[in-house]
Amino acid sequence: MSDLKPLTALGDASARTVTHGVLTLKENNALALVSLALRRDSPEPTPFGLGLPGPGLWASSGSIAALWTGPGQWLLEAPGRAESDFAAEAAAACPGCSVTEQTDGFAAFEVRSAAGEEPILALMAKLVNLDSARFGPGTATRTGLEHMSVFVIRRAADRLAVIGMRSAAGTLWHALETTAARLAEPRA
Amino acid sequence: MLIPHPLLGPRDAQEFTYLGDAALLNRPDGMAADAQAAFNDYVYLRDNPAGVHRELWFHEQGDRSWVVVTRNTVTHEILGAELARDVALAAKAGAA
Amino acid sequence: MKFSGLRVFTEALRGHKGWKPLWRDPDPQPAYDYVIVGGGGHGLATAYYLATTFRKAKVAVLEKGWLGSGNIGRNTTIIRSNYLLPDNEPFYEFSMKLWEGLEQEFNFNAMVSQRGIVNLIHTDAQRDAYRRRGNAMLLAGADAELLDREQVRVMIPFLNFDNARFPIKGGLLQRRAGTARHDGVAWGYARGADMVGVDLIQNCEVTGFRIENGRVKGLETTRGHIGAGKVGVAVAGSTGRVMAGAGMRLPIESHVLQAFVSEGLKPTIPGVITFGAGHFYVSQSDKGGLVFGGDIDGYNSYAQRGNLPVVEDVAEGGMALMPMIGRARLLRIWGGIMDMSMDGSPIIDRTPVDGLYLNAGWCYGGFKATPASGYAFAHLLATDTPHDTARAYRLDRFQRGYVIDEKGVGAQPNLH
Repeated sequence: MSDLKPLTALGDASARTVTHGVLTLKENNALALVSLALRRDSPEPTPFGLGLPGPGLWASSGSIAALWTGPGQWLLEAPGRAESDFAAEAAAACPGCSVTEQTDGFAAFEVRSAAGEEPILALMAKLVNLDSARFGPGTATRTGLEHMSVFVIRRAADRLAVIGMRSAAGTLWHALETTAARLAEPRA
Repeated sequence: MLIPHPLLGPRDAQEFTYLGDAALLNRPDGMAADAQAAFNDYVYLRDNPAGVHRELWFHEQGDRSWVVVTRNTVTHEILGAELARDVALAAKAGAA
Repeated sequence: MKFSGLRVFTEALRGHKGWKPLWRDPDPQPAYDYVIVGGGGHGLATAYYLATTFRKAKVAVLEKGWLGSGNIGRNTTIIRSNYLLPDNEPFYEFSMKLWEGLEQEFNFNAMVSQRGIVNLIHTDAQRDAYRRRGNAMLLAGADAELLDREQVRVMIPFLNFDNARFPIKGGLLQRRAGTARHDGVAWGYARGADMVGVDLIQNCEVTGFRIENGRVKGLETTRGHIGAGKVGVAVAGSTGRVMAGAGMRLPIESHVLQAFVSEGLKPTIPGVITFGAGHFYVSQSDKGGLVFGGDIDGYNSYAQRGNLPVVEDVAEGGMALMPMIGRARLLRIWGGIMDMSMDGSPIIDRTPVDGLYLNAGWCYGGFKATPASGYAFAHLLATDTPHDTARAYRLDRFQRGYVIDEKGVGAQPNLH
């Protein structure tokens, strides 16, 4: 019997975390992801009691969250359940919809600020071309970050999540960490 | 350039990829008698106007919507944007 | 007025008071045998070869601005004949041979400099593709050499050979390629055409065609009606706009391409370097400026200026290829309008209107073609048969299924 050990998207045995100044980056390797798409003329479900958010928005309820990814399409998030078959549960909760397992296609990174929203806005200003005035808590979108396509979620004023292609996890982490480190350098 | 996405508001044009003239939505009938000539026009010929141009952009680094953007090719001013899906459905309803 | 060393010497002794304008500035006559629309490189070259080589006839060139105000004055001056397809390579090699004799031909210093071009190779597949292209060039009588990594390093040691994504594995070299002074080319052809009696009419915009019974009779212009036996249109990015006046829709979209030049530096770059994988190419002008560019912006445009994202993209490509370019300060950025065709190759052909001929679809590669384009277009105008090297450049090739698609991307002009 092979002695197989699971690795995270960054290739480590456990989730990587690093702090630069007031910003802490953490790999969220336990986040289960499922995509949800309506079929033509199918009604909008309320999976696990969660009202699905409208364009550009993110909503959470209990242990489940969802972000709008396109017309009639969402990404469901289930923190801590990457190693369970969340897709099967979601499919059962969304009858008549197209539900696809996405967990291992993506890598998720959580950014937390210890000093309110300013550091989060400063990080966004360096990395993504989004209007921070229109990207408050409860919003989410796909955008470009150093030529990579990523989902960005403003979970709270002091929290930002970036979900990118798993095959580019290292590059994405490098972009996030380099920027956070530069922001932490004392201003001349 | 900022494209005023009908659902998401103004977004950087870099998030989009460009296809071309919105006339590409009007695919000819492949079974019609003049299909060969019609497809030559459809695939290869363009109005290529200097001025207002309706064109298809795909929000690839975004919500993956096709958007019909009205833009001035002389000034790069963007005059409006609609979901291509809405444009196509309206055309279909109009034709029916 | 013939230029010579003796003439320069005697003028120096006389305080340079004997120099005259290189061409006249005539008013349009009521009618000409041939009218060329477009006073850029291709239009002037067409008029030159028509009047000197093919026909004794009344010829005029109409230009809406000043001579050479479009793409002939906006390009990055590269001349080369390194194409793959048999419909293209003989034409561009013919152009290369015309470049080699150009200055003697029209007695004007066009600063043709055969300093070589290297297309960089980053993968085994790319090496195979360039080996095939090099063989295709040799078959058409051009020169080509496949370089390995160390040969490239000896020639251009300052590149980043160990870029993680695009390490340099070799290159395809064409030694006879190089650069030419773009304005000098326009001026040389203009002067040569003027000397044999061609009227170069500036500030004369074509606003419409007079077409009777399917045959062109003349042109409506901002300087009045001008009768014409035959009309040749060579207006690059304005092709759609001008030909709409003859009721034609064409397999062409107009796109903007940006170009860049740095401050003058000491001699750094020996020839032309292209980094296709990173959308970047660079050479150094005789004044010392690094002349570089990348891809077209990618959307229809007639604006002669581009947007910042492509500036960033080109800068990233430059930094990835030759990090020392980061120390050079950018002097100017500008844009030109490209007549992007549906297969990336040009059109030199008759049109459905008798007496109306089209020279267009040069995409971002028209400068190197200037001599051959003018020669072949003049040949077509004079004899009504295509020049041997330009037989494939037909307007109806799309309908017939004979596209000449070097890149193999299909009818998507912004990807060629």
